[in-house]
Amino acid sequence: MESRVLKPVLAVYVGLFILFLYGPFIVLGILSFQQGPEGGPQFPIIEWSTYWYRHIFGLTPPSRVAPLPFGQSLIRSLTLAFMTMVTSTVLGVMSAQAFRSKFKGSGVVFYLIVLGMMVPGVLTGLGTALTANSLGIERHWWSTAYVTHVVYTFPFAFLVMLAILNRFDSSVEEASWSLGVPPMRTFRKVTFPLIFPGVLSAMLFAFTLSYDEFSRTLFASGRDQTLPLAIYGTFAVEIHPNIFAFGVLTTLFSFSLLTVYAILMTMSVRRAGKAAIQEDIA
Amino acid sequence: MAETISNISLAGIVKRYGDVTALDGVSLVLDKNEYVSLLGPSGSGKTSLLRVIAGFERPDAGTVTVFGRDVTNLAPHKRGIGFVFQNFALFPHLSVYQNVAFGLVNADTPPPADEVRRRVTEMIRLVGLTGLEGRDIGQISGGQRQRVALARTLVTEPRLILLDEPLGALDANLRMRMRDELRNIRERLGVTFLHVTGSETEALAMGDRVVVLDRGAIAQFATPDTIMNSPANPNVARFLNRYNVLLGELRGDAFVTAYGDLAYGKRIESSDGAYGIRYDRIAVVGETAPSAGVEVPVTFVASEYLGSAVMYFFEAADGHILEVEHHLGKGRMPEYRSREKYKLQWKPEDAIVFG
Repeated sequence: MESRVLKPVLAVYVGLFILFLYGPFIVLGILSFQQGPEGGPQFPIIEWSTYWYRHIFGLTPPSRVAPLPFGQSLIRSLTLAFMTMVTSTVLGVMSAQAFRSKFKGSGVVFYLIVLGMMVPGVLTGLGTALTANSLGIERHWWSTAYVTHVVYTFPFAFLVMLAILNRFDSSVEEASWSLGVPPMRTFRKVTFPLIFPGVLSAMLFAFTLSYDEFSRTLFASGRDQTLPLAIYGTFAVEIHPNIFAFGVLTTLFSFSLLTVYAILMTMSVRRAGKAAIQEDIA
Repeated sequence: MAETISNISLAGIVKRYGDVTALDGVSLVLDKNEYVSLLGPSGSGKTSLLRVIAGFERPDAGTVTVFGRDVTNLAPHKRGIGFVFQNFALFPHLSVYQNVAFGLVNADTPPPADEVRRRVTEMIRLVGLTGLEGRDIGQISGGQRQRVALARTLVTEPRLILLDEPLGALDANLRMRMRDELRNIRERLGVTFLHVTGSETEALAMGDRVVVLDRGAIAQFATPDTIMNSPANPNVARFLNRYNVLLGELRGDAFVTAYGDLAYGKRIESSDGAYGIRYDRIAVVGETAPSAGVEVPVTFVASEYLGSAVMYFFEAADGHILEVEHHLGKGRMPEYRSREKYKLQWKPEDAIVFG
């Protein structure tokens, strides 16, 4: 009885959710095929064309619309996201590993780490900028911004790894030790392969959070801008559909990242699935 | 020089977890090439003891000495002690072959590749897994996993192997088969086994000697025969699951209980007073049958058919349940009527008394 009412309501809810999630993107996607260079960032579509995609890659004759200044900032953002991903994941794995055994003050340390997620980003960015200035440190995307990105993404990586290690059956490690394999080697050969799905998730989190981070980077990055800042910068002048075309391309890039993630995940989950069967029988 | 001391000895092992004392001064000497069963109820500290010996836990007091070398503070991987886990703890991301080869390949100084191949292949053959080398751990049965766990440990040639209820996860048939296989393997390889089990039949069947652990302390360490016929105290008798243990007080030649004074054959010094009579040494007779030996009036409650024997449950005057085992080899199964009165009789010399 209840489901007769509940089901349609939930269906509508899910429909709305998906609409709000993908609606803006679909609109941008359609507008990115606007005619150029005269067509503006609004409906109706004067004529379908791939002009703005060619415009991004400099394949169109020069016009009054300046090419997007994204080349450098895209590389910066990707590099920064990669650096952040590696650092945060390594730190996350290591600290979560440390939390497997209760140590003195572990509760306090836990909250100090997790607080990094809670502190408003603008404040962290501003604080970092002020501190850097007063210490006479020059701000760069690869120095001060990098530090704020790590501080921001590390707790996510840490929590993901903590959840994974909580479920981890440490008897396989003990088994490895008792076979005469030293702890470091045991970590590399047993622990790491088994927690790899979690490591992948932590990497994905750190990368995506860093890649489109805005508020912290705004203050902490100095002269050379990252991609989100550069995009925001173009809004201040005039919006052309080339920015939509660019949005579509970066989204496709994100999807390909997700696909790689999904493939790696499926491969390691298939192995973990076998492990689960083993536990069930045992 | 160290090798001349050919035993494993534990001296005064104490292990506490917070306020709980899991091991309370355990001392034990295992001989080389001996199979020792470690029996105890859950919570008696069996697994804690094994983990202390393996080095997974550090004792709060006491020393562990393996063949003359004090290993109390040594990391687990340097001890040369094998451990077979209750859940097998196989490496799920590796194949059967890789699991068995793991300890050799990843040793501090691994043997040459062809020797690894030879030893692993030989060990896989020994445990009867030839042909399954390439299988994933998820693709083999419970018994096969158990053998992989054993092979993986044996191939590294430890001098002591600790088995933590490794047969508990198997079904009864498989358990019997593995029991035989364990014995065979040991006879061929000559290592010391310390086998933790919660099953008294397993402990008695497999052990050259049996350690009975009770609340973190050793209650008895003797051959299965001695343990069975002369349990050191009433608790040991209870763990064996073969004795009716009656409570009362020893006064001179008789043991005074709620059902009268009971005569006994053997007395075992113990701080707790109790009277023990084996399930299979009791005869059931009608209420009016002539008196003979020791006698207790009871009421029949229920029976349980075990295939080779039947267990009968009788209630004594104070509500205590007495169990009687009737082997079906002795004849057909007698029938008793529920809530009818009967008498249990046994010979005084079959009974032991603690006190």
